[in-house]
Amino acid sequence: MSKDITKSLFHFILIALFQVFVLNQIHLFGLINPLIYIWFIILLPINTKNWVVLISSFAIGLAIDVFEGQMGFHSLATVFMGFIRPVFISIFFNNKETDELTRPSISQMGIARFVPFIFIFIFIHHFLYFTLEIFTFSEFFLTLLRILLSSITTSILIVLLDLLFIRRRD
Amino acid sequence: MYNLIRFLKRYYFIFLFLFLEGVSIYLISQNSYYQGSYITEIANEISGKINTYNSNIFTYFNLGSSNKALVKENSMLKSKIKNSYISYTKQEFIHQDTIYKQRFEYIEAKIIQKSINKRNNYFLLNKGKACGIEKNMSVICPQGIIGVVINVSENFSLVMSVLHQDSRINVKNTRTLITGTLLWDGINYSKGRIIDIPSSIPLKIGDTIATSGFSKDFPEGIMIGKITHFKMDKGSGFYDVDIKFSTDFNRIEHVYIVKNFFKTEQETLLKEIKDE
Repeated sequence: MSKDITKSLFHFILIALFQVFVLNQIHLFGLINPLIYIWFIILLPINTKNWVVLISSFAIGLAIDVFEGQMGFHSLATVFMGFIRPVFISIFFNNKETDELTRPSISQMGIARFVPFIFIFIFIHHFLYFTLEIFTFSEFFLTLLRILLSSITTSILIVLLDLLFIRRRD
Repeated sequence: MYNLIRFLKRYYFIFLFLFLEGVSIYLISQNSYYQGSYITEIANEISGKINTYNSNIFTYFNLGSSNKALVKENSMLKSKIKNSYISYTKQEFIHQDTIYKQRFEYIEAKIIQKSINKRNNYFLLNKGKACGIEKNMSVICPQGIIGVVINVSENFSLVMSVLHQDSRINVKNTRTLITGTLLWDGINYSKGRIIDIPSSIPLKIGDTIATSGFSKDFPEGIMIGKITHFKMDKGSGFYDVDIKFSTDFNRIEHVYIVKNFFKTEQETLLKEIKDE
């Protein structure tokens, strides 16, 4: 249990630093802004208590907000994701698995199930964040394109990082 | 009482969710750039300190291009000082200092955090109230304009970039002196858009666009960019102009904050008109 908490804290710090110091600094074609910190919420153990998920989501959102100097936008989107995460878990996993599996990853789920899972999750998050941040209907299709391209980039990044860093099941 | 506790226990998850969302919405509303907020100030202080370390590291990578830009500016300024001119007339003019009163002061600052990849972009500078920075001061760099200060804490200030959907800057064509309004449409950080230029006066590709000086915050004639493309909107009778910014927002590190000594005087004068 305490090992799980340390591991999650480790994820939190690494992912937040990567988002703030690497992804927020690079610039891709003007429309793409990958928000990889959502991976932290995806990576929490499946049997984590719901309120812990909510609080952790709020924490990571707030951490990113503080570094961007614009308070509230990321935390609002992440808290919502923390709220609907149990629904996602119940859709994408059956009861037997929720006892066994620890953290949703490619090695645990297989890539065919992992990709739709994270893509839908990420898309909802990006949709919320970008509509909030831009907050105008006058550029609706441009915003939609921005959301779609960013979601795809974030998903690809997460799949790559997962393949690189998450330990395979023996 | 027991029922109440049972009720709370049952729905605690939704309550916690609503509470945290409430906190987020509160933060967003407090942080609107029209009113400064205490929370943002504290957050800026903390993130500013950490970002200073980060930018100190990245500065080294850009030393070369920064130096080049500074040398270029130096040479331009040197060519403007009196010693670089030769008098062609035999008459001598007496230079009276009392004629000139300093109107603008430039405070040097360094960017410690920036974004260019969002729809609404901001910069964080390493100078704040302690150095005399105030809200609504304009920010420029040797190559062109940067934005406007929207929030100040003790040691840091937050700048709304020109690359922002609410950014509106009054500009003029330096050749024809016709004014327009500068906007950013959110895709390419090197391209801007100008509207409200009446189509009665011909434009040319390559015309220089600079600040008009009608705003009390921007000095006149700060370079903004060059016209790359324009088309006439027949319905409205105005041009729709694309420009390329002279500022490379991806590269800048050192900026100047412009302080207008006559701002309060200008404002009181304008207020008198409004009051009447």
